[in-house]
Amino acid sequence: MTPTLKVINQMQADGVIGQYAIGGAVGATFYLEPADTLDIDVFVSLQPSPGSSFLSLTPIYDYLAARGFKSENEHIVIEGWPVQFLPPADALGEEALAQAIETEVEGIKVRVMSAEHLVAIALQTGRAKDFSRILQFVESGVLHTDKLDQILSRHGLLAKWEQFGQKFMRGDT
Amino acid sequence: MSEWMRKVLEGKRAERKRLAALPFSEKLKLLTQLRDRSLAIAASPLRRQSRSR
Repeated sequence: MTPTLKVINQMQADGVIGQYAIGGAVGATFYLEPADTLDIDVFVSLQPSPGSSFLSLTPIYDYLAARGFKSENEHIVIEGWPVQFLPPADALGEEALAQAIETEVEGIKVRVMSAEHLVAIALQTGRAKDFSRILQFVESGVLHTDKLDQILSRHGLLAKWEQFGQKFMRGDT
Repeated sequence: MSEWMRKVLEGKRAERKRLAALPFSEKLKLLTQLRDRSLAIAASPLRRQSRSR
């Protein structure tokens, strides 16, 4: 995966994307045991094209296509890994992007979402695999409860968290 | 829960903890291996036969 991360960093250096943060299963792997996944979710901040107020992924696709990378449905395959570039959909996504932590993989700087933001986004997304990941986070003990509570409160997710707890963590909390 | 099952679950928990504690770069290598294995299974003729049934 290192070559893929190098390309993403180069995209940032070349100004094609702004700040980025890895989320999804690959982001969760920073904190948890590796879990099978087929793609990399990269949350990116985008600048509107000159003369336009719309955010577009076209510059990303154009940049990568010019370097021989092919798109496959909603992904672009970069050095063997399908990558999905996702502009933040709401304030939670923007905050997760802004507060991502920086780490290194074989000397390459990489930004990864915080564990608490990954949990909040998984809760918001709400698929079975997201709930499973939340339970992994809870069991791992890596979450900072105060920080998670603040995020959930800020983004209106406390009721959903309560429901999640009642359904999946009865007796554990 | 039987003693045997308790030991199995404890062993799984310990292994998950060990894997989680690996350096991120090591975990990303494991992710790649997991993905390659999933793709190989998905491409296997046996898997395709069972899907078409």
